[in-house]
Amino acid sequence: MKKKGLGFYLRIYFKILAQDIKSKMSYRADFIISTIGMIFTNIAGFVSFWIMFRSFPSINGWGYYEMLFLYGFSLVAITPVQCLFDNNWSLRIAVYTGDFIKYCFRPINIFFYYQSEVFDIKGLGQLAFGIGTLIYSWNKIGLGFTPLILLKMIVFLITASLVMIAMQNAAAATCFWIMNSFYVLDLVTRFKDYAKYPVTIFSPVFRFIFTFLMPIAFIAYYPSLVILRPDEVPLLSWLSPLIGVVFFWLSYKFWMRGALKYNGTGS
Amino acid sequence: MKLKKHITLTKAGIMESLQFRLGTFVMALGNILYLIVVYYLWKAIYASAGTDSVNGMTFSDTLIYLVLATALFNFMEMYTVWEMGRSIQSGKIVLELLKPMEYRSYLFWSNSGAFVTNFVFTFLPTFIAVALVTHGAIHMGLNLLFFLISVIIAISINYSINFIVGTICVYTESIWGINIMKQVIVLLLSGATIPLAFFPETFRKITYYLPFQSIYNAPLSILLNAHPEPKELLVTIGTQLIWAAVLMILSKLFWKVSLRQITVNGG
Amino acid sequence: MSAIIEIKDLTKEFKVLNRREGLKGSIKDLFSRNYKTVRAVDNISMTIQQGEIVGYLGPNGAGKSTTIKMMTGVLEPTSGEIRTNGIVPYANRARNAQEIGVVFGQRSQLWWALPLVESFKILKDIYQIPDEKYNSMLELYGSLVDLEPLLHKPVRQMSLGQRTLSDILAAFLHDPKIVFLDEPTIGLDVSMKSKIRKLIQALNKEKNTTVILTTHDMGDVDALCRRIVIIDKGKMLYDNDIEHLKSFFGSYRTLKIRPDGELSAQAELIGKELPNFSVTADDEWIAILVDEDKSKVIDVLGQLQKSHKIKDMQLEEISTEEVIKKIYEEGVS
Repeated sequence: MKKKGLGFYLRIYFKILAQDIKSKMSYRADFIISTIGMIFTNIAGFVSFWIMFRSFPSINGWGYYEMLFLYGFSLVAITPVQCLFDNNWSLRIAVYTGDFIKYCFRPINIFFYYQSEVFDIKGLGQLAFGIGTLIYSWNKIGLGFTPLILLKMIVFLITASLVMIAMQNAAAATCFWIMNSFYVLDLVTRFKDYAKYPVTIFSPVFRFIFTFLMPIAFIAYYPSLVILRPDEVPLLSWLSPLIGVVFFWLSYKFWMRGALKYNGTGS
Repeated sequence: MKLKKHITLTKAGIMESLQFRLGTFVMALGNILYLIVVYYLWKAIYASAGTDSVNGMTFSDTLIYLVLATALFNFMEMYTVWEMGRSIQSGKIVLELLKPMEYRSYLFWSNSGAFVTNFVFTFLPTFIAVALVTHGAIHMGLNLLFFLISVIIAISINYSINFIVGTICVYTESIWGINIMKQVIVLLLSGATIPLAFFPETFRKITYYLPFQSIYNAPLSILLNAHPEPKELLVTIGTQLIWAAVLMILSKLFWKVSLRQITVNGG
Repeated sequence: MSAIIEIKDLTKEFKVLNRREGLKGSIKDLFSRNYKTVRAVDNISMTIQQGEIVGYLGPNGAGKSTTIKMMTGVLEPTSGEIRTNGIVPYANRARNAQEIGVVFGQRSQLWWALPLVESFKILKDIYQIPDEKYNSMLELYGSLVDLEPLLHKPVRQMSLGQRTLSDILAAFLHDPKIVFLDEPTIGLDVSMKSKIRKLIQALNKEKNTTVILTTHDMGDVDALCRRIVIIDKGKMLYDNDIEHLKSFFGSYRTLKIRPDGELSAQAELIGKELPNFSVTADDEWIAILVDEDKSKVIDVLGQLQKSHKIKDMQLEEISTEEVIKKIYEEGVS
């Protein structure tokens, strides 16, 4: 048997992913309606943001455009989880009905095989909104533009995405143990909406919780400090790439542990 | 006896939702965490604003309003659209039409079990917690009775809207897209995410002509107003009643028309 | 011949939640739970040779699926040893998966929206099948079934029979050493069943693939398997040639008659007349199981003719189904 390296997995990934896009295209009406739904969600998010900051010009020393920057940052950071890990939402049903077993019969990594099966194109709309917001607030704050800051931006966006992916993986994987993991997944999803606020608004206890236990502070706050407040970057911000990788790895281990424990209930 | 039939369905639903033990606990935990986030966020917002009252609402008003809006949402959300969509697409709807009960009320009553558990496990604890935390900012008087009446009408309005949206699934396969659009519109325009009081003047006026504010804004403003003018109360509940009647008729008519589509296509 | 699957003292236990009844019970379950241990597979041993087709039989819930899940590396045994192809499946799931093919119940493992050929192409990459091997496999398939119309049809538009056929082809595509087939002919009509049996037989012969077949359809067993293994309640009841089983019960024959009148009512009457015989009825015949060591078929027929008007009759050797039923009832000594 040939060794299965990165090249092998990449090739398989694009093959399986392409099939998903092809099959989505065969349900065109659904695709259009879902995309409109996605756009609606984003517009509503902006409207809420605007209404709120119309009445309150700043929160805890964070101005309007800085808050907007955090918002844009969180939108971009949650795009990968939306696009590439959307199949986590179906995990519960696959496990419940026993269909999950088909992923166990293939000679490739179960996590990889499972996640590669779905690519959610409509997440790209969110990406566009996010990038637009980032550029707009970037200009308004007057951050300037150097290759270094772009590099920082990319590294810290990836970091933030990893944290978000990790949270969703962990939440979805709970379905291997508990019957109705939907609530857990729903909870995590709801929390990502709060990632766009500075973690300093919380009391120390909850700052700890949201940093280490339910790490939403890493989705926008800590990474964007590097860009927004370059003079007062806390150690945690610099550590966040490492933390992102660790969280992702832990969530992967947790997910796989569940998958291996899986005994095909319902068949 | 007719009522007994309904109660049996409710009872079965309660049992079913209790089976998901951990789901119930997670749901409760999630709500507590969520309340904490909302609490700190708005505390920070009000602290930064520097005044006690913004747009006529104090911090505790806003807190009570938002927390109870979420609690109401959790308790009223019955995933009707999903359920209808799935059973229409799988063809199961044909079996459900054979039941000796009108589909609209069958669906309502078989979901009302989750309703009762949600009320006991999430709404009630939340209500008590909020009442305690805000030190009697909720007036305990006749307003509770009117609030209850208003909530019951709101449930009916919400269900009719859900049923109308669910009926759309007869025509499209895109349950996700349809549902997300509904959710976004309802949550924003009903004042569930941000109190309507914060909306810009014209925007707010428009929302008062739409049915959505009758779901969350109406009961909550009744609750928060310790000494309402009888006329004001009458207008709020009257508006709710009119919308409830109109939407009920609309949802029944729309279903009747769409039913023909199902019977022609065989589901 | 060499052993491809070796199983020794294999046992699997599950913890099952005892749910309490009623509304009160549900509330109690919320706070305290009550588990019991169920032994799904109980001390099973067997050795299967390369190229065998083994019928793995037993009633629902006997532990068939559990055993297969352990052989495929999905489940870890509670105790005992299992080796497929020389490796421990659970510890080497991915490596094991390379050498096995699985068709599990009616769950298609193909890509629903895609034409079959696209699924094949993905599988070709996943299993790293070399081009020439892939092409020769398709050629072989072409000689066995009418492949062309299948290849370009999306799986979701296929009939159940076509889908099963496609799933079997997909399971054999990477030329695995073992293929597990779980109820491959369930829900199919007679001609499709025989098509699928022929395909399995041909692939087994051509590629010397070991096939483990679980089924409730004795037609499958008769057509395909020389060896059968029967388990019930997790315990092994029988593991030997199908002929041996038949010779063991060889003195039994089935007398089928069609008397005047309503069949089930008549069967009941005959059952009373012949208390020492097993009497069953279907839509066409009343079947009487006769032990030829004790009484001659001709005598039984003679006795029946006195009280019934028999329009038609048939004599059959015992069917596998009845054999298994007898094993369930009496056991093999």
